[in-house]
Amino acid sequence: MSIIKVKSRGTDNVGGGGRRNLLMNGSMQVAQRATSAAGVGASSGYFTCDRWEIETGNSAGRLSMAQNNDSPDGFNNSISLACTTADTSIASNEYFRLQQVIEAQNLQSLAKGTSSAKQFTLSFYVKGNAAATYGIEIYDLDNTRHICSTFNVTTSWNRVSITFAGDTTGAINDDNGGGFQVGIYLHAGSNYNSGTLSTSWASITTANRTSSSNTSFYDSTNRTFFITGVQLEVGDSATDFEYRSFGEELSDCQRYFYKVEGASSDRVGIGGYVVGASEARMDVVFPCAMRAAPTISGTGTAQFDGHADSADFNCSSIIIDEVPTGIVSGLGIQIATSGMTNGHSGGLRFRGSGGTLSFTAEL
Amino acid sequence: MSTYQLYPDSPSRGKINCVKRTDNDGSIWCIPFSEDNTDYQEYLKWLDEGNKPKAADK
Repeated sequence: MSIIKVKSRGTDNVGGGGRRNLLMNGSMQVAQRATSAAGVGASSGYFTCDRWEIETGNSAGRLSMAQNNDSPDGFNNSISLACTTADTSIASNEYFRLQQVIEAQNLQSLAKGTSSAKQFTLSFYVKGNAAATYGIEIYDLDNTRHICSTFNVTTSWNRVSITFAGDTTGAINDDNGGGFQVGIYLHAGSNYNSGTLSTSWASITTANRTSSSNTSFYDSTNRTFFITGVQLEVGDSATDFEYRSFGEELSDCQRYFYKVEGASSDRVGIGGYVVGASEARMDVVFPCAMRAAPTISGTGTAQFDGHADSADFNCSSIIIDEVPTGIVSGLGIQIATSGMTNGHSGGLRFRGSGGTLSFTAEL
Repeated sequence: MSTYQLYPDSPSRGKINCVKRTDNDGSIWCIPFSEDNTDYQEYLKWLDEGNKPKAADK
């Protein structure tokens, strides 16, 4: 008779017994949009590594951003930021964060808003061109509450670990909206740092979101910032970074962003049919259900190839045919074109190098 | 500053339940009228501020 021994362990470091890291693409493996971007800082958005957003306002500072292979042992990628235009005259309303928003329904293991609210720990590897201090803010979007901290950067890769208290106030909605916004404050004006840093959970006070003693990333064009191995987990200490396969990370990220593209030698495409001389429809099937009905955007050109017919058009002219409801596993799209024969089948082909079609359902 | 414009009706479907956004860099986005879509949420906020989208091209 075999004996099965069950080892008892505490629950403080167990995130539901499954995956520990509540963040996605923490090792910066996936970069569907681009691997580098220049002149970043004029507006907010997603530029390189999936799920990692630049959120900015009102600063003249600019930077280049890249998925960089400068990384600590055990990693192959990081996000690197390099200041290309300094901004040393900081107006009160300026801010710049690197952030990721976690979907609310993925945060239920924190038991936030209950008497059993769990501590959680944020850890990451970081370095810069010189010593610096930056801010961290965990922003509960459902309850407009936050808790903040600071961390130091040196010229060598170091792992930072910050444990935050559980919050017995304000449950996170069990839905597909934004739950936590995990933000790294790299630059801020007095609107954001003139108060007292909120090191305990509290309702949002804008002036308490980061510290006035923090470094400004835009203080010099020498300034750089590298980060990878970002993990947020239930518990009072950081465990080893949870490595995931590229396929797992890509699939997770495609819930929020999916890109179809092809080079001139490719025949990557989307099947469709003609519904009139000037209109064709296609059905995109997503590799995983998207968080919400996505916004679509296209670049370059594509062709609709039907039986004996073919028409070129700009991908930016593609629009959504029907807005899906429920689980968003696919999307009907359409193009206005010409010279088609009603009833013929065909497909959207990206023969021209650089033709892309993107689907975005970020938080 | 982004601009918004309505789409012309589809010959086969009629009204298009999306709005076109053009950003400063020239990028064009087709935003579905879907409450969970954060771009649509921004569009609704923009409307609440008293703005109106451009009429559809004819």
